[in-house]
Amino acid sequence: MKTYDVMVIGSGFAGMAASLFAAKRGLSVVQAGGTGGIDFSTGFIDLLAVHPVAEQRVWEDPFAALVALRRDLPLHPYAHVADDEIAAALEEFTGFLEENGLCYTGRPGRNTLALTSAGTVKPTYLLPCSAWGGVEALEAKAPTLLVDFHGLKGISARQIAEVRADWPGLRTARVRFPGMGGELYPEHMAWSMADQARRIELAEAVRPLLGDARFVGFPAIFGMTDTMAVVRHMEELLGRRVFEIPTLPPSIAGPRLRAAFDRGLPALGVRTYTQKLVSAAEVSGEMFHFTAGSGSTAVRIAARGAVLASGRFFGKGLKADRHAVREAVFDLPVRQPEKREDWHRAEFFDPRGHEINQSGLETDAALRPLGADGRPFHPRLHAAGAILAHQDWMRMKCGAGLAIATACKAVRELSQNL
Amino acid sequence: MDFFSAGLGLACLSFVLGFAWRVHGRPGSRLPAASEQDRRKSGLAAGLVDIILLRRTLRTGKLRWAGHTLLILGFLPLLFLHAMDGIVTRPLFSGYEPTLEPWQSARNALGLAALAGLGLLVWHRGRRLRAFSRVQDWALLGLLAAVLLTGFVLEAAKMASPADFERMVADFFPEADGDEFIALQAHWARENGVRFERFLPTAPEILEQGRELHEDRCAGCHAPTATAFASRTLADALPAGAVLPRTMAPIFWHLHVGLAFLVLALLPWGKFLHPLASPANLLVRGGRWDSGFPAAPPARNLALEACTRCGQCSLHCSVAPSRRVLGNVDILPMDKLADLRSWLDRSLDGARLADLVEGSHVCTECLRCTQVCPAGIDLQDLWISSKAALSEAGRAGVDGEIRKRTAGEWAHELASRRLGKVGASGSGLADHAESFWGCVQCTTCTGVCPVVAVSTDPQRDLDLTPQQIMNYLRMGLKAQTLGARMVWSCTTCYKCQEHCPQGVPVADILYELRQLGARTLRHRGKP
Ligand SMILES: Cc1cc2nc3c(=O)[nH]c(=O)nc-3n(C[C@H](O)[C@H](O)[C@H](O)COP(=O)(O)OP(=O)(O)OC[C@H]3O[C@@H](n4cnc5c(N)ncnc54)[C@H](O)[C@@H]3O)c2cc1C
Repeated sequence: MKTYDVMVIGSGFAGMAASLFAAKRGLSVVQAGGTGGIDFSTGFIDLLAVHPVAEQRVWEDPFAALVALRRDLPLHPYAHVADDEIAAALEEFTGFLEENGLCYTGRPGRNTLALTSAGTVKPTYLLPCSAWGGVEALEAKAPTLLVDFHGLKGISARQIAEVRADWPGLRTARVRFPGMGGELYPEHMAWSMADQARRIELAEAVRPLLGDARFVGFPAIFGMTDTMAVVRHMEELLGRRVFEIPTLPPSIAGPRLRAAFDRGLPALGVRTYTQKLVSAAEVSGEMFHFTAGSGSTAVRIAARGAVLASGRFFGKGLKADRHAVREAVFDLPVRQPEKREDWHRAEFFDPRGHEINQSGLETDAALRPLGADGRPFHPRLHAAGAILAHQDWMRMKCGAGLAIATACKAVRELSQNL
Repeated sequence: MDFFSAGLGLACLSFVLGFAWRVHGRPGSRLPAASEQDRRKSGLAAGLVDIILLRRTLRTGKLRWAGHTLLILGFLPLLFLHAMDGIVTRPLFSGYEPTLEPWQSARNALGLAALAGLGLLVWHRGRRLRAFSRVQDWALLGLLAAVLLTGFVLEAAKMASPADFERMVADFFPEADGDEFIALQAHWARENGVRFERFLPTAPEILEQGRELHEDRCAGCHAPTATAFASRTLADALPAGAVLPRTMAPIFWHLHVGLAFLVLALLPWGKFLHPLASPANLLVRGGRWDSGFPAAPPARNLALEACTRCGQCSLHCSVAPSRRVLGNVDILPMDKLADLRSWLDRSLDGARLADLVEGSHVCTECLRCTQVCPAGIDLQDLWISSKAALSEAGRAGVDGEIRKRTAGEWAHELASRRLGKVGASGSGLADHAESFWGCVQCTTCTGVCPVVAVSTDPQRDLDLTPQQIMNYLRMGLKAQTLGARMVWSCTTCYKCQEHCPQGVPVADILYELRQLGARTLRHRGKP
């Protein structure tokens, strides 16, 4: 059996980033994981936008926010990662995505307000290039046509226009998506947009409605693997700037990200076991032995180090029963509210968030999870992403950024110990 | 007419007639060919490589590959250089004699290689394919082995035979006097293993005289028989002093030649054709692994003949478990192909036709058999086109019955029935709350489903989408789902199940519903 340098447990943002960084640093990497947050993400990469959550203070400069965060919350995982390391990690991550057909953009050192499918805006750090036109149109309040489709649920151009009363130049239209009827699903539409004839038909349906619009916004369905080529073709056909608005999860953003990694990671030599969860782990001083998958397709994996990036409850890194929260792979101690009653506050929308959403693994400064004795569980086991304690990525708007930054840190620390 | 000419004549007649029957006997037109045929170019070179290197066979296992390679590398040269030496070897190599080197040792090496190959194939069949094997599978292996073994025994018997020695001396050294004859006998008995009935002198000067006579009279056409290493070993294995009956060599000659004629005569029949049909099919397929549906009728006829009954498709068939539950052999590609051939030849009806129809509809066209077939048969094309042809002939099976009504209408009928569970073990996934525990109705399964993707209007074409079916089931509305066209259109590609963030076995459940539906309809009207 081959022994790998690193086993990455999880294939969400944190797992993908850890595999990428480790492979780029010349380590031999094996990764196992299933569906997780990445498949449901809107495609935005948040770094940090809200702090303190209780005050709902929104920051334009995420790095200034980081300074405040580290001062106020010294246990937050971001406290273990330096700014330049975060910036470098994000750059390497988006560079990889770009090489694999997914273009990302943003303003260095500044959060951007991105348009969502509900018509609200959300501060984020990096966004798909296909959505950037929406940012420009919104900021300039430019004459814009928003198109949606009969049969595609979860995005209504009219609702967006109603919410954006501050944008009088916004008009809406609903068209029939060429070649499909009844209920529509973004992934099917995206695949069908690979066909140039489909784009021409769509452009023909929209052209009579253009009027004075300088921008045209569509639900995000412009291709799976060649989005910017589709966007440019549509711009050519319509003679207007064209942008995408992410639809409600599951949107096409998740499959696009996953597809980019499915293409790019094996090319870097990463051995990926997709849709296989680690069902057993044995740990000795020198070695980790994992079983991934179950039944006749189970595989055994040996590695000298590991990055645990298995997410929280949605990712299945943490499991909650009626009384307590447990860590799924190593049964590591989980920081959690003492009593079940303390998991949630009385009000669901309490601005301070809920105690359970801060639960997760405690680590040392090298992001090594602590065992029951308060010391690192294993010298070469690190953790990254949502599974880390003392953070509420959803309310702080730091999901993907935190995952990528901590993955980078975990890999760097681990590589020094191999 | 002598045995040889008569045998050869009959064998050739059988071969020609059988071959003609197989090529022209079938109205292949019963399988529909769509107006537009797949025109992707197939690579001749790739097809040749498939044939020469047995590339597709290698994919199904090193053992099978080694067995076939040894058999072919041994058998083909024997066929051309040995069996057909009069028309191939003699004109090509001046001074050729089958009893000279290198021919003698080469024949032994080739024969052993072919036997070793056969041994591997027999072992493999016995271990992995016993359950699928029929008489003809074993018969082909057995006949080839018999041809090879009788060849060795024949050679050994000739070596040891005093009759052959005497015949040769009479032909090529008629003037030998008594002493010379004895000296030559003594030399041949000692050096070349001939077993004479009487005791021979061993005095060195007599042996020396025998050696000189041998060099003078025999060595031009006879290398030492020891170079025929396998046969000589066989001949020497007889106890010292034992003498073979003089009829032994002629008997084995008749056996060896007769068996070879039998193989030639059987060549067009059943599986015996595959050494010709499979390479021809590989050539036509030109290295393609995917399906070229719809294929041209001649290509289809060839495909129908190319099956070697190697059983690989049945080993890899993704609906093989249904065969265990339903007990219908026509669920497995190899047997289904045979029955399809019979149906096309208009010699299939009754229960076997019903089996073929059911087997056709249990198939999910997953492409696995096409990809794995070592003969490169485009099985996918055969299944898709035969399913259509059977429906055309009024044999649409459960699938057709289901599509006659909507899911709602079925629900109305089925609601009053007790819909049992599938499988002997009895616990259906669709009846367990745990199966749907995690379902959050996120639509991922529907979003990735290729069947939903190709339907222009899912509601109209499929009645329900996968995630809606999961929702119905967790509300206990099983009857409402059984007739849904989604269930009957599922290709079991497993994308839904692979992508489900909550681990719901979506594809397994859809497949289970289909089996349950099939069984319910099979027993319709019965109490
Ligand atoms: C609906 C939604 C929208 C989001 N939108 C955004 C957004 O706009 N911007 C943003 O920045 N972030 C967003 N996020 C957050 C982001 O997608 C990730 O959730 C977050 O970055 C955490 O990543 P992670 O890799 O740590 O965990 P996850 O993404 O949850 O991944 C965990 C991984 O671990 C695997 N795993 C679990 N147990 C095992 C095991 N035993 N063996 C092997 N593998 C295992 C899972 O299968 C999964 O692959 C969103 C999340 C959701 C759910």
